[in-house]
Amino acid sequence: MAALLELRDVTKDFGGLRVVDQLGLHVDEGEIVSVIGPNGAGKTTVFNLITGIFHPDSGEIVFEGRRISGLAPHKITQRGVARTFQTLRLFLNMTVLENVMAAEYGNTKATVFEAMLQLPRARREEKRIRAIAEEKLAFFGQRLAGYRFDQPAYSLSYANRRRLEIARAMATNARLLLLDEPAAGMNPNETLEVTELIGRLRDDAGYTILVIEHDMHVVEGISDRVVALDHGVKIAEGSFGEVATHPLVIEAYLGVRAAKKAV
Amino acid sequence: MPDGQLGAGLPEGAPEVPDAVDRPRVGTDEWVAQHEERREVGRGLTGLVARGWERIPPPGRLALLLGPFAIFPFITNEGNLYRYGLITLIYAVLALGLNIVVGFAGLLDLGYIAFFGFGAYLYGIMASGHSGHHLQAEIAVPIVVVSTALLGLLLGLVSWRLLGDYLAIVTLFFLQAFVIFVNNANGGLNDFSYPFVGKVDLTGGANGLDRIDPLNFFGFKITTTKGYYFYTLIALAVLMTMLFFVNLSRTGRAWRALREDPLAAAAMSTPVNRLKLLAFMFGAAIAGFTGTIFGAVQSGAFPGDYDVGLLITIYAIVILGGLGSIGGVVIGALIVNGAPELLRSSANARFLFYGVLVLALLIGMKPWYRAVVALVGTTAFGFAIHAIVGAVWSRGTAGHIQGGGAFGRALDHWVLLPTHADRIAGWAYFALIVAALVLTLVRGWWRVVVMIPTLYLAAFVWENKLVEQVSGATRLILLGALLVVIMNVRPSGIFGTARVEVV
Repeated sequence: MAALLELRDVTKDFGGLRVVDQLGLHVDEGEIVSVIGPNGAGKTTVFNLITGIFHPDSGEIVFEGRRISGLAPHKITQRGVARTFQTLRLFLNMTVLENVMAAEYGNTKATVFEAMLQLPRARREEKRIRAIAEEKLAFFGQRLAGYRFDQPAYSLSYANRRRLEIARAMATNARLLLLDEPAAGMNPNETLEVTELIGRLRDDAGYTILVIEHDMHVVEGISDRVVALDHGVKIAEGSFGEVATHPLVIEAYLGVRAAKKAV
Repeated sequence: MPDGQLGAGLPEGAPEVPDAVDRPRVGTDEWVAQHEERREVGRGLTGLVARGWERIPPPGRLALLLGPFAIFPFITNEGNLYRYGLITLIYAVLALGLNIVVGFAGLLDLGYIAFFGFGAYLYGIMASGHSGHHLQAEIAVPIVVVSTALLGLLLGLVSWRLLGDYLAIVTLFFLQAFVIFVNNANGGLNDFSYPFVGKVDLTGGANGLDRIDPLNFFGFKITTTKGYYFYTLIALAVLMTMLFFVNLSRTGRAWRALREDPLAAAAMSTPVNRLKLLAFMFGAAIAGFTGTIFGAVQSGAFPGDYDVGLLITIYAIVILGGLGSIGGVVIGALIVNGAPELLRSSANARFLFYGVLVLALLIGMKPWYRAVVALVGTTAFGFAIHAIVGAVWSRGTAGHIQGGGAFGRALDHWVLLPTHADRIAGWAYFALIVAALVLTLVRGWWRVVVMIPTLYLAAFVWENKLVEQVSGATRLILLGALLVVIMNVRPSGIFGTARVEVV
């Protein structure tokens, strides 16, 4: 199967610092790929490069066989790549439902004049995206449903905010979800739930998923394939077992001396 | 974990994960969930009013807001209709446009008034005795609206990279440049020589562009204040309705998303730059449209009208009404324009003064019975002082309240009104300021104790000193106090919803 997303020799410098170095990465249709690595390894930068917040200095990023590097962020999202943020970036003062509906801007076409005069297309679209938003929120069971539709996002608990971010990403009509530490800040129970949720996102909802995660239980539970980064370089790739025992990975996390002891 | 087994990852011996989802338990967010439910229910009187207001369907709300305006011309005279009615409406329409830029999209645009002026001047250039052209309004007004929108686009294009303070500086510069331009574009020595036409007197310079035609739609000339009043009222109603729909549409949502977090908005498929430009254009178009009304009403456009003072007034309206609230601008305009006009008469000012005091007391003092004690105490204190002073010093109660009515006569027996009170009142003013400062330092029941003489002192100073100057400095002091009280009661504006920046 052809890769859904492919990074070819992508390099990014911040001033004199090389954050991502000649990175090659591919995600196949229907896969769950985890990116791991110590803090500052360049994981989130990779996400920012894929979603167009940064542009690579060299190399290219291809999605569904078409080049997406160099496009504006909203164009990339409209092509089918949506993300969540490590530090939550919800629209806090908008309601839960509005948060999800706002993400459907790219799937609607009614102009502002049509909205002003409430012409049929505007009303039809509004009805349609409302239904889609409710459907996406229903994916999370009762947690984001019912009365909570009209609550402002800031009133949600931390875990529900993370869920809402995922719902929002789903609503963009994406095929590929980039989840940036979906289990960060969650308690063990919620972490388990996230693990299950990511599985369901693939199996029931049909998304391909690229995920950054620090919690190795989650990584082990979900990953078809794990990619380890350190200082912007891919140091290992393979199944969880292969990567977790890879000497370079152990060294990256624990340092050279500890790694020698471990091996 | 595709097989959905919840407990699979737990270590041996860990407590079993409960499967019921609707039972509060440690480790899940059910407790927090209930907390959320409670949090959004408004409490007290404000909550009650807010919920009642929410329950009225939108057309009903519009009718409630604008209905009184429709009746107003039939119960008032020409001068009042202009001062209270027409100017308020013009401010409200103007604030509606600013509300798009600042309230919806969150762009701090300090050049907004330039678009208003541009509309008035452009209309004047197309239809006035000054320029010699007399275009019909049905042609001139659309031209003005489109041109102002394009000017808005232009300002947006040069500043779309900027946000917050930086945008504010650039747009403020734009306003200043506009004012300087219209002050000088009179075809004089220092003026530009335009391509093809050479030097022309565009704006009349510092003397203004005079003899602007009244709005003339298909031969129907609007000549009376009442005519302009209803024209503006209808425009306001139409614009409010349209913006209500826009606010609920994908564009309105995208604007709010942009205001909340531009990066997240972009990542969620919103073309951020295009939406910013759209907000600028819409705001500018509305300002330009309002400019044509204002120019025609004044039958002239003068550089002094379109400066920072008006900008602050319009901002005050938008903030007071509640950023992003469509209905709020009407109430905001009513207060910001109406209150200073009302305060020109001492009888009105007196009611407002005592009204604000009582209201501030009832709202600011908690629990409520302390406020009641302070009120009753002040009343009793006043009568007691009046009786004592009346017995020992006859000159102390010899004066009379200016104006009158039942309230005035009651005050005569309550507040001390010495004849020749200038010096005493001066000292009392000083004492009042000290007492007000002391008031901020004491807590609990002591505050009530200090409050009583302070309130009485305030009434004394008011009746003996401030009320005489009511059309001058007092008016502005009182207006300031009123705005402070309102913003303290409703920190996010009268119709605003509380906004959370970082949680």
